Amino acid sequence: MTPAAFLSDHTFVMVTAGTTVIGGVAGALGSFAYLRRQSLVSDVISHAALPGTLLAFLLLTALGRDGRTMLGLLIGATVTGTVAVIAANAITRHSRVAIDTAMALVLSTLFGLGMLLMQHIQRRPLPGKGDIQDYLFGNASTITRADLTVSLAVGTLTVGVVAVFWKEFAVATFDRDLAGLLGFHHRILDPLIFGAIAVATVIGLKAVGLVLMVAFVVTPPAAARQWTRTLPGMVIVSALIGAGASALGAYLSIVLGPVPTGPVIVLVLFLVFIVSLLLSPRSIVLAAYRRRRSPALP
Amino acid sequence: MIPAAEVRGLSVSYQGRPVLRDATMTVPAGVVMGVVGPNGSGKSTLLKAMLGLVTPSAGEARFFGSALPRVRQRVGYMPQHTAVDWDFPTTVGDVVLMGTYGRLGWLRRPGRTERDTAARAMESTGIGDLAGRQIGQLSGGQRQRVFLARTLAQQPDLFVMDEPFQGVDAVSQQAIVDVLHRLRREGRTVILVHHDLGTVTTYCDHVTLLGAGRVISSGGVDKHFTDSHIAAAYGLAR
Amino acid sequence: MIFIVSTFLLALVTAVACALPGVFVVLRKSSMLVDGISHAVFPGIVVGYLFTHDLHSPWLILGAALAGLLVVAGAEWLRTTGLLSGDAPQGLIFPALFALGVILVTSRMSNVHLDTHVVLVGDLNLASFDRLTVGGVDIGPSHLYVMLVVLTLNAAFLAALLPPLTAATFDPAHARTLGIPVTGLGLAFMFLVSVTITAAFHAAGALLVIALVVAPAATAHLFTTRLASLIGWTVAIALLGAGAGFWLAFASDTATSAMMAVIYGALFLIVLVATRRGSRRHRLR
Repeated sequence: MTPAAFLSDHTFVMVTAGTTVIGGVAGALGSFAYLRRQSLVSDVISHAALPGTLLAFLLLTALGRDGRTMLGLLIGATVTGTVAVIAANAITRHSRVAIDTAMALVLSTLFGLGMLLMQHIQRRPLPGKGDIQDYLFGNASTITRADLTVSLAVGTLTVGVVAVFWKEFAVATFDRDLAGLLGFHHRILDPLIFGAIAVATVIGLKAVGLVLMVAFVVTPPAAARQWTRTLPGMVIVSALIGAGASALGAYLSIVLGPVPTGPVIVLVLFLVFIVSLLLSPRSIVLAAYRRRRSPALP
Repeated sequence: MIPAAEVRGLSVSYQGRPVLRDATMTVPAGVVMGVVGPNGSGKSTLLKAMLGLVTPSAGEARFFGSALPRVRQRVGYMPQHTAVDWDFPTTVGDVVLMGTYGRLGWLRRPGRTERDTAARAMESTGIGDLAGRQIGQLSGGQRQRVFLARTLAQQPDLFVMDEPFQGVDAVSQQAIVDVLHRLRREGRTVILVHHDLGTVTTYCDHVTLLGAGRVISSGGVDKHFTDSHIAAAYGLAR
Repeated sequence: MIFIVSTFLLALVTAVACALPGVFVVLRKSSMLVDGISHAVFPGIVVGYLFTHDLHSPWLILGAALAGLLVVAGAEWLRTTGLLSGDAPQGLIFPALFALGVILVTSRMSNVHLDTHVVLVGDLNLASFDRLTVGGVDIGPSHLYVMLVVLTLNAAFLAALLPPLTAATFDPAHARTLGIPVTGLGLAFMFLVSVTITAAFHAAGALLVIALVVAPAATAHLFTTRLASLIGWTVAIALLGAGAGFWLAFASDTATSAMMAVIYGALFLIVLVATRRGSRRHRLR
């Protein structure tokens, strides 16, 4: 397929543009989750998003509006996602339960709640209700121009928040105690950081589904870390890897396709990660290889 | 004169076990107060509870006559083992610069003034040439000096240090001692958890002795660091 | 055997079969790894199906369990490179495997009825459908016996290896000096967890199995740290939660596994609040 043919197809452009935005934003925010050593909050947020979107759907429908507006669902998902992360951290602070157990508990309870809600909705004659399939697998080909606009706007806002609160995000991520002592209270900062990570996770749920969205948040930072030494460098490289892999993956899924877009992007991300692990300056493989080639001087 | 720090009845429990009991201590302005005691006597906990890093079950701490949130700029903390990821992608310069963030408050970016303060702090601890180095590539002593510089960059009136000399090489030890002397000359106050009984009187003019979570004695070294006090704190038979 | 009773038994047996290894999953801080395994089960089943073309083949369980083991071994390898921070190693492999599964399903099997809903969410009633008849007598759902075997395996593993497993969990370095094969034991344990999860997905679904594995042990851990007590209470809580969840789902005509997950979460919350209040009272005395 020629680039011209590609660019003239509305769906192709939407899919590529949409996933690129998702990849870039998730990569950028994912860096902070990674450096907090809690990359898997993305998994928690993804699962917690289900009851969030459904509650938003019910609320909007009850208010007489279209239950499926992207922005409404985004807000619902972000709220429950952020609450889920805060809850998991709170459980750890107030008991001997470790963070991984707390995350797994919150994730499964909220997702179970979501499943119950879903069942409740399926039984009622409500307009526009979706199916669990879409949440689990996503569907990139249904990205509309409106969706893209909302993603772009929300994504830019989130990245903007990171830029404005850069030093606060950096201190809180690097040394939580110091941030508190300097006066950047965690009660303000935690919801801000968690909320930003939650937004970055939920904008992609409709397109790639909740399981694969984890890869968008976890993989680019893990790959980027192998190439950079500074925090701004890492965030930028991670965003670029996320956006680039998404664009490439979307393109490949269309020309080699039709293959679902989300999975192809995830595989591209994984490959980029493996290559980064093996060939970057930090790579132990490369270091061992170099040591073998040039034995130590006497 | 308002004391630099005043602790009244501070108690901390960890999962039902009392770790610090009813601690009371007054730190006059301008002194170097050593906090000493055997392992597990609650020294680190005392500092952390004062600073709100752990939640006390009772008691309070005041700094320069006020609660901590109102005088944050004036209190600096140099922790012992930080919960810091040494693999974090950041340089020495970046970390020291973080000490200046408190004065900036929310949203404002560090500028020329802050960078100069950070640079001076690095010079005075002998790590000026390490500014661009990633923190994972530092030795233990160098890391300690980075956190010392970070605290210096904050320019606080009260320095709270948790075992700054623990496991540190000779060069770093000297750098820390030099800073201590300078702080004393400048009339600043220091609270210092110290592990070595033998050198307490070298660095400190006041001391607080802890034993099994309780304050055994607190005040000037000549009156409050006697053999019987030490014996009581360390549970030694006379 | 009456259908409802046999389904109830299946729920209880599945709950205990998952909760037992859950004790060590929680103690080893591998809860999120279990989540990763449960997501990897899907592609494992897909690949197994591609080879056997039989949804009820035991090879499906093996394929899925191996996929789970791949997640565990891969995460361990990534962790040992020292190039990654925090829990990232656990989240890098399972999405890629899941992606592979989705691609395979949509390309090769689009004409096949692989109900992804059931695979990922499970359906207790459906799982109880296939009956096992011995000498003409219906002795219950065949899956009940599958889970009983798994339960026995887990109980036997724990009974036989409790001391070395405990040592390896609390102090791996020290355990190694005692000659305990810490890594091998860990992998064997996680493989067993993988098998358990795969077997349980039929009834509970891959996505909700994590609640069955983690929640009872986590709840018990809130108020006890002695191992014997922990195991005992874990089983008790597993039974309580499964029982309550089952009957509540029955009464409200909702999905059993989803209700069980929510009940377990609620139980945890209740115990958490109760233990906090208790310790606060103790402190002020």
